[in-house]
Amino acid sequence: MTWRRALLIIALLTPGLGVILVMIGSVFYVAVMQSFGYYNLVGEDTFSLEHWQKVLESKQFSRALRYSAYIAVVAAIGSVILAYPIAIWLRRPFRGSLVISALLKAPLFVPGLVASFLFLNVIAFHGIVNQFLMWTGLTDAPIRLQNDRGAWGVVFLQLWKNMPFALLLLTGAVQSISDEVLDAARDLGAGSFDRFRKVIAPLTVQAMQAALIIIFIGAAGDFAFQVTAGPTNVQSMAQYMVFLKDSFGRWNQAAVVGVSLMVLALFGSLILAILARFILKSGNKW
Amino acid sequence: MVSLADTPPVAKTPKRKVGTLNRALMVLLLTVVAIWLFVPFTMAVLWSLVDPETGWNYPDILPPSLTVLRWVEVWTTTALPQAIANSYMLAPTVAVVTLLLASPTAYCFARYDFPGKGLAQVATLLPLVVPGFVLAIFFSSLIFSLGIYSRFLSILMAHCVLFLPYAIRIMTVSFGQVRQDLIDAARDLGASPFAVFRAAYMPALLPGILASLIIVFIQSIEEFAIAFIVGAPNFTTIPSILYSYLGYNFIRPNAAVVSLILVVPNVLLMLGLERLLRSANPAQMGGKG
Amino acid sequence: MTALRSIDVSKVFEDGFTALADINLSIDHGEFVTLLGPSGCGKTTLLKIFAGFYAPTTGRIEQNGADVTSAPPEKRDTAMCFQSYALFPHLTVAENVEFGPKQNKVPKAERITRVDDLLRQVDLGKNRDKLPNKLSGGQQQRVALARALAMRPSVVLFDEPLSNLDAKLREQVRREIRGLQQQFGFTAIYVTHDQSEALAMSDRVVVMSGGKIEQIGAPEEVYQRPETAFVADFIGSANLLPFQRVDDYTVETALGRFTVADPPDSDARFLCWRPEAAEYGASEGDNVVASEISERAYQGSYTDLHISLPGAPDQRLHWPGGASSVGDHVTFRLPPDRIRFVRGELG
Repeated sequence: MTWRRALLIIALLTPGLGVILVMIGSVFYVAVMQSFGYYNLVGEDTFSLEHWQKVLESKQFSRALRYSAYIAVVAAIGSVILAYPIAIWLRRPFRGSLVISALLKAPLFVPGLVASFLFLNVIAFHGIVNQFLMWTGLTDAPIRLQNDRGAWGVVFLQLWKNMPFALLLLTGAVQSISDEVLDAARDLGAGSFDRFRKVIAPLTVQAMQAALIIIFIGAAGDFAFQVTAGPTNVQSMAQYMVFLKDSFGRWNQAAVVGVSLMVLALFGSLILAILARFILKSGNKW
Repeated sequence: MVSLADTPPVAKTPKRKVGTLNRALMVLLLTVVAIWLFVPFTMAVLWSLVDPETGWNYPDILPPSLTVLRWVEVWTTTALPQAIANSYMLAPTVAVVTLLLASPTAYCFARYDFPGKGLAQVATLLPLVVPGFVLAIFFSSLIFSLGIYSRFLSILMAHCVLFLPYAIRIMTVSFGQVRQDLIDAARDLGASPFAVFRAAYMPALLPGILASLIIVFIQSIEEFAIAFIVGAPNFTTIPSILYSYLGYNFIRPNAAVVSLILVVPNVLLMLGLERLLRSANPAQMGGKG
Repeated sequence: MTALRSIDVSKVFEDGFTALADINLSIDHGEFVTLLGPSGCGKTTLLKIFAGFYAPTTGRIEQNGADVTSAPPEKRDTAMCFQSYALFPHLTVAENVEFGPKQNKVPKAERITRVDDLLRQVDLGKNRDKLPNKLSGGQQQRVALARALAMRPSVVLFDEPLSNLDAKLREQVRREIRGLQQQFGFTAIYVTHDQSEALAMSDRVVVMSGGKIEQIGAPEEVYQRPETAFVADFIGSANLLPFQRVDDYTVETALGRFTVADPPDSDARFLCWRPEAAEYGASEGDNVVASEISERAYQGSYTDLHISLPGAPDQRLHWPGGASSVGDHVTFRLPPDRIRFVRGELG
């Protein structure tokens, strides 16, 4: 590796990778520094652990942390569990399979806010769901479905948005398994479930992990779904962070929440991915 | 040899059963899709057409009267035209700048090997790993402390970084498809560097360039977190306007109009892209494939 | 009791294509039967019907006397060796071989013994912990074989297992397969388009064309006493001539008048003789032909000579010598017992 070549490579990487590293690095740096009392927008810069202390002790924070972690896990695992059987069903083309595949992936084109709006419409007082419930006689007055306490609205929206993404990743992986390998498994006595456990799952682990990680990170940092359709008695981490930022003088605390959210996103997703790999890959050791 | 007389009746093939199972699943799925795609969208369209005079209240299943007056009203009385102008000025700029920034790196990934290459490729995915609102908030802190006041420029920078991973990945695949033997043939025939570029590189790159531009464009139009946090309050984009109609100020018909304005052009663009790509190159590009 | 039987089996696919018709086949325990024919003749379809991957449109399949027509592959006592080997890419050689017994709940100790024995027999003991992508084609084929045999199936099905190997390797693996079959004594159904493989390995050959069975018989029988034009032409080379009956033991052809040992049947269409049947030395007598060489191709142990005939395809004969030129005269004799008659059309 000559010096000239090394310089050339670095020069080529700078506008792309370089920009990414600088920007993301700076943002991360600012967040961490602000959480420790520096980079204050008003007032002095002093190193202090009090912001961390205050936030970690606050009940709101621990509720937000648990809530966001819960939503993230449910969204990731739920999307993958829904997408796997569909990906396997669509593995070999049959009449209409392309249409189904396109329709199922349609939510990928719908931005989160629009999804929230569509959802709110459907569950409104005079929306279709209430109309249907009354028509069947299950209820005799419209019920308030919005902002439900159990966060079912948010979970539904997360699944609606993320299942197509998981389907996208898993379809590619599942289709790359050759027919003959699956035929061989059948021939050796493996039924449908065993074929999934011992052949399909181990061979598609990487795609599944990518899906879990990306969905987890996205759901952990959700703001839009939570604010429009989520329960009002608890906040998501992102929502809490914005709330702190908007309250005068609490930028530093917002920074603490921000750093925590990054930690949750990164480590939570990695732990989930490792656990899933462990469960799936050892399928044929049982 | 067995005589025909003692053979039992023809065996029914299990294949027929699989056929009906498939069909049942398809019907089930189509109903579910109808419920979770068509119904919400139809309702959105209907809401956007509700007559401001009569409104649409329970217990009517359908709005009593439809008119495009709502669209006119939203257009003339709200900040929507400005938001649309902003979004559609921002997005193409982001698309082009991102493509320019991504290409050298993509070229490097596609044609060179070096120690740490794998790590570098993973590192380009960093923007996807940071939660959107964290990026938005601390980016705005950073901008403020650096003294940059132009909202447009700030959002432009943030969007470029956010979407670089897509552009890099798409262009890396494209550069990887440039055939060395075509380059050699062109040089061998005495072509100038520009001519070599046109003959050997462009055919493989064109689909990638198109895909990158369109996908980054769409992502920029739809992006909410940064536009909301960094753009507030002067620079509105279509998503941030939509958010304002979903908050305390829930004006359903306005939200419906803005939703359609947000989604329909993007869907058309994606379909157009798919059509273009299929004719140019059947390989699947990254992103919303 | 026969090991495997197909009774009046036919197969029509969803798009209307008829892959098989009137398949009646009876295979005995321990037999090595080859399904031989060109691509598209239905041999692989029939194999998959025996395995359970396809269900026949009409007819049934019996294994050891029981009707297994509607049994899926995982429930049949058959094991298949695939053309592409189909090894599980994420499992080592040993784990691949262990897959079947593990699936069928064979106790661990017994499993380990079986795997070890089989790997030793296919000479892959040293590679037991390698992944398939680290093995050569021939080695992968042996793993596929060991994996199938680990099931101790009564029937092993082979789907053109040698077609992806190069010529030298093909011969070696061919001998190994036949050797293992004779040692273990399982029934083998082997699909191939390579007639030399079929002749070398089989107890019986089933020649197929266009979804139908042309002829079933031992290799010698199928080669020396073909019944149809297709079989005569597909296995080895054959010269086929239209003919006219003169009397029971005499026929007239474009090549001349011949005395024959067996009279032609009423549905016989062609007179058939093999190039190596030509005898040299006699210049007079019955069945002697004098002609001129129109083409020649030296083949090492013989020279391939062509004689052109007006209104009939070129006749080919094998001349054991080397020196010959186009235009030379050649005289040969066809012994009456080497002349056969076949029915049916060509190709």
